[in-house]
Amino acid sequence: MRLWRVVVLVDLALLIGVGAGYLWWGQQARRLARELETARAVAATAGGEREFQATGVVRAGLADVGILVITHGEIAGYMPPMTMGFRAGSPKILESVKPGDAVRFTLRGTPPNLAITAIDKTAP
Amino acid sequence: MGEVVGLLARWLHLTSSVLLVGGATLLLLAGPTDRPTARRWESWTLAAGGVLVLVALVTALVTVAAQTAVLESRAGAALEPAALSRLLTQTQGGILWLIRGGLLILLGAFLALRAEIRDRADWRAARGQIALLGTLALGLVAGASHAAAAEPGTAAAIAADVGHLAAAGVWIGGLPALAVLLWLAGRAAGADARPYAVLAARRFSRTALALVSALVLSGLWSTWVQVGSVAGLLGTRHGRLLLVKLLVFAAMLVLAALNRRLIPTLAGDAATVGRPAMRRLSRFVAAEAALALFVLAVVAAMTVTPPARHEQPTWPLSFRLTLDNLVAAPDFRAQVIVGSQVAILGVVALLASLALRRLRLPVLAGGAVVLVAGLAIALPPLVSDAYPTTFQRPGVAYRASSIAEGQALFAEHCAVCHGRRGAGDGPAAATLQPRPPDLRAHHVALHTAGDIFWWISHGRPPMPAFADRLDPDARWHLVNYLRALAAADAARLLGSAVEPERPWLVAPDVGFTVGPAFSRALRDYRGRKIVLLVLDTLPASRARLVELAEAYGLLGTLEVEIIAVPTDAAPDAIRRLAGWPPIFYPIVTDGAQEIVDTYGLFSPAPHAEFLIDRQGYLRAIVAAAGDPRRDPNLLLAEVQRLNEEKTAPPPPAEHVH
Repeated sequence: MRLWRVVVLVDLALLIGVGAGYLWWGQQARRLARELETARAVAATAGGEREFQATGVVRAGLADVGILVITHGEIAGYMPPMTMGFRAGSPKILESVKPGDAVRFTLRGTPPNLAITAIDKTAP
Repeated sequence: MGEVVGLLARWLHLTSSVLLVGGATLLLLAGPTDRPTARRWESWTLAAGGVLVLVALVTALVTVAAQTAVLESRAGAALEPAALSRLLTQTQGGILWLIRGGLLILLGAFLALRAEIRDRADWRAARGQIALLGTLALGLVAGASHAAAAEPGTAAAIAADVGHLAAAGVWIGGLPALAVLLWLAGRAAGADARPYAVLAARRFSRTALALVSALVLSGLWSTWVQVGSVAGLLGTRHGRLLLVKLLVFAAMLVLAALNRRLIPTLAGDAATVGRPAMRRLSRFVAAEAALALFVLAVVAAMTVTPPARHEQPTWPLSFRLTLDNLVAAPDFRAQVIVGSQVAILGVVALLASLALRRLRLPVLAGGAVVLVAGLAIALPPLVSDAYPTTFQRPGVAYRASSIAEGQALFAEHCAVCHGRRGAGDGPAAATLQPRPPDLRAHHVALHTAGDIFWWISHGRPPMPAFADRLDPDARWHLVNYLRALAAADAARLLGSAVEPERPWLVAPDVGFTVGPAFSRALRDYRGRKIVLLVLDTLPASRARLVELAEAYGLLGTLEVEIIAVPTDAAPDAIRRLAGWPPIFYPIVTDGAQEIVDTYGLFSPAPHAEFLIDRQGYLRAIVAAAGDPRRDPNLLLAEVQRLNEEKTAPPPPAEHVH
């Protein structure tokens, strides 16, 4: 065989090899990203009912609708810090705190359907 | 010891890779030949190529071993197969080393095809393949270089680096091979190869001109990306190495220009005319190649120094040039403009002298005189004093906590002369000669943060030095406080209405906490939300805060966040504001004092609202001495004005004065 044909073949092989490697790498990356996503989704919904602990400060109690608005810190595995309303598990929970109280509270339920099942005032 | 070996290995690796590319490309440029001397040069070049591949592979191994030792931070790791394979298979740089090693081995196989190749197509394919594989292997170096770590614009930086490497490979890698060819052909016995050598030199020279342009352009781009400033060039190790490289590169260009002019003298058809010229050219090209090897050594050293952009420059001169001087002294503008035009005239004359044959020397001398005269007119007004720290970036960011600390330090150490607010009216000021200046005045903005840091550290008679009394962070706190004082003074120009498209005053960053667990910084809202920072004093502010609470939903859709900061820094601020309607925007319970200290400089009113745009610029200040209630639609109109701005200004530099 003529040498230049060998060279062209080698280059083609190189091109295909690099291309295949690149595609394989891309596929690998996509697969890992998918796995991570499913793992996160599973972690978020696994086992149906879940429980989270968090701290925050009470901003308002909306007695008519049974909602407590809390500015809370990171809820590990569930939610970044923000101000939002949580359903109070019982009227007593709603009554036990006032705006401005620093609290530690427990959320229980199947995300995103969570309710506050326990709440304690922490030091001022 | 390890460092020296690593550096040496890098240099040898780079040199062998470059020489491989250059030798193969020169072969390809010169083309196939049947002259015995030329054939001998070809086989020498190929044999040298084999040695170079070996050197490149061995030095690659040494470099990888040295990197492993650094990465695992123990010297023994350099010889452990497990550690080496971790680096090679699990880091981007390691995988690149593997690919490059594979390419070099394949290249070695093609070098072995030294046997007779008669057919032109086959010959081109074989030699071209060497050049191709060598260039690929060399270009991939860019994938694990400073360029690959540049942000933003990584792709452009890598592309510039690949271009730079490839062009350097072809140009300076070709010089030694060309020198050898000219030397062989310049011998008495080499007459048969002389036309071939002349042809090779001509083609090389033509190619080199394009390559040097590519080198200059890609080099300029990389310099911008990696160095970025004169201070970086003069004040850091990386920058100074680059200067050395440029100096040697300039010497190479002078030699190259001389060599270019020698090429036509080769054209003598007989042994008598061509030979001496050929030998001289051979020596000159060899000298150029020697300089090139030195440049590669500098480059190897540069690859192991952090890029200048990421270093604190130490300014080596006692002066600097700055156009800011003209802002303070507009009278000098005309002088600078006239001087620069005279200087340009001089440059034009210098360039013209290159094109002239007769009168070259007089025009050259005249141009030089005019250039110097122009610079002598233009530059003096631009000269400012400078210090080693002049271009250093503040070690502490411009944020409320630092400014508040600076304020306390200022009251303790500085206020006795400079006055409580820096006006130069402290109790001891009257006894001083010269009197302390007004630190809020506009001229303060003409000095860099590093200048002020230097004066605080080393004193400025009659001011004493504070370097041994305050640690560097404390001195930077003072610098930040002075910057805030000047900014607060300038903020008098800000009205209660947004001036469209004119952001200029950077809002100091603040960190704050709401309740026990929610912490944010003003910086976190950058690029996402407009922030209305409200300093409130109860009870007067209550009505306004309720007004804002009612509008909060609407403001949210306009991407506004409200942050309420109680001026009394009360930790029970949320409780005191409980009621109907409920307030849901952040009310600062921790960190309020620093914010009040800092933003109180901008407006001391008991109720003040600061409108900060998405880029972190302070755009409007509303201060109320009495009842702060205001038509809520006014705020909506200002916000809408910000939302309608077309150009997003660059976010303010975190540090620079």
